[in-house]
Amino acid sequence: MKAWTIRTSVFDASTFTFLSFFMLYLLVQPTDEDLLNLSRNALISLAFFISGAVLSFFLNKNKIKTLGERIFELSYQENSSVNENRCSCFWKWQMALTLFCALVAGILITELSLRDILDQDGFNGAMRIFNELFHPNFEVLPRAVLRMIETIFMSFLATAFVIPFAFVLSFLAAKNIMKGPLAFGIYILLRTILNFVRSIEAFMWAIIFSVWVGIGPSAGLLALMVHSIASLGKQYSEIVEGVNEAPIEGVQSSGANQLQTIWFAIVPQIILPYISFTVYRWDINVRMATIVGFVGGGGIGKLLIAYQGQALWKEVGCIFLVIAVVVWILDQVSAYLREALK
Amino acid sequence: MSENILTIENLSKTYPNGIQALKNISFKVRPKEFIGIIGLSGSGKSTLLRCLNRIHQPTQGKIIFAGQDVAQIQNSNEIRKVRKEMGMIFQQFNLIPRHTVLLNVLTGRLGQMSTLKSILHMFSDEDKEKALSCLRLVGISEKASLRVDQLSGGQQQRVAIARALAQEPQILLADEPVASLDPATCHLVMDYLKKINQELGITILCNLHFLSLVRQYTTRVIALKAGEIVYEGSPSEINEAWFKKIYGEKAQDIHVN
Repeated sequence: MKAWTIRTSVFDASTFTFLSFFMLYLLVQPTDEDLLNLSRNALISLAFFISGAVLSFFLNKNKIKTLGERIFELSYQENSSVNENRCSCFWKWQMALTLFCALVAGILITELSLRDILDQDGFNGAMRIFNELFHPNFEVLPRAVLRMIETIFMSFLATAFVIPFAFVLSFLAAKNIMKGPLAFGIYILLRTILNFVRSIEAFMWAIIFSVWVGIGPSAGLLALMVHSIASLGKQYSEIVEGVNEAPIEGVQSSGANQLQTIWFAIVPQIILPYISFTVYRWDINVRMATIVGFVGGGGIGKLLIAYQGQALWKEVGCIFLVIAVVVWILDQVSAYLREALK
Repeated sequence: MSENILTIENLSKTYPNGIQALKNISFKVRPKEFIGIIGLSGSGKSTLLRCLNRIHQPTQGKIIFAGQDVAQIQNSNEIRKVRKEMGMIFQQFNLIPRHTVLLNVLTGRLGQMSTLKSILHMFSDEDKEKALSCLRLVGISEKASLRVDQLSGGQQQRVAIARALAQEPQILLADEPVASLDPATCHLVMDYLKKINQELGITILCNLHFLSLVRQYTTRVIALKAGEIVYEGSPSEINEAWFKKIYGEKAQDIHVN
């Protein structure tokens, strides 16, 4: 069985599982208790999945093109004109039905309704808040600026502290440097750890660290650092993997050792992209630091959540303005710097 | 006749993807020879040179150099000692574009200095003087402080030659040194190689595309075809018949003037 038959089956089985489950939901009208029975529902899904996979396999065998086949055949056989005589309507219906049911399911699950949006009381409340947000109370501006500065420096420190760690990690997590069985093992291990750490958002790290070191800027700083090491380490190592091999060969042939080769042949190639990614990371960290503040990381986020909790919308409006201006300026500056460093 | 500087016996190289690039290559090199290696693209010329300084790992055979079998060395320090004795230049020059000409030539000294000193760019005055004299030898010392990416192709190849000379090697391996240069520059670079060969007495193994260059510059020629030696001898003896045997029936000789 070719790899793309498997992908096709998995894709079609997933859409089949979703559709069957959705139909079942509409037919049975289950209670909350039914819905919370995870193990039974998982078993039902698995049954649907398997039958979907089998169905997809036989449909494709009988020359009926499913959506999965339509998607995955493209990357495998560029000129699929051989299959033109197949029934071409099935995959279109499959796609239309899946998308339609997904929309309906989404609306049902999120309980989105036009009535809530157009509700007079709710609408008036929103207008009141908007009105206050757009008339910020500038008395809190000095405090907001101070907290914003805290946030900016927190992100700067988080980025700066991380550079040496990410720099070293980037070589250890680059496939073209880590040759040989032991080195390749380290590479796989590091890549896995980096991907795992990166998949945990900075604000989750902030929750952990606010318990560990207490609520405040240092918790936010540590959270940003952990997330930045993983992100920068990954981005840096991808730059290392993309370097031109020619200078490496040139330096090696003069009898240089591994460290000298990295320093003379690789570092000059990667230094500008590194700076560019680092500036971008600082930019991202400022935005993340705001969120990190919500959960006890200090800085402007903490101030924002405090005013929001007391429903002081004019003060919140002032903070919104400060955040927007700073993020906009940093965004422009970092884009300008990255452009210049190309 | 003096002793051989390099003896290659039954050298074979099979790449991990199964392609056999070299099959039982055997030849001897005497000191101060200027050997031309010719053959079609993919005939194994580049692989051969890279096996000699162990950029590539040969699969089988011996490379006897300075009393030891280079093919068998496992210790990376010992491999580096061999590389110090064999300078190498490349078709694409393989310089570091962002560094200055002088620093590029100084990288030729890396094998001779401690890691810490080299990383701090603490090159000794002798090293700097050595690098400058190598640059003077290829007539490009006035560009020493320029960045390499500001130079033309021919100038870059001369910097690469200076880098290889800064190693003070016994042998210079040249992998298609003029293949990316225009005909006039090509002769300039070949003239410098000839000068190095004759004045400094450095043995040269040079991969070349054009038979006219081989006839003009080399003292002996080795022709490879599909990883095997099909001709070994004087460049002047390669006649039409040999030419067609090496390059195929339909090939025509092109002269670089």
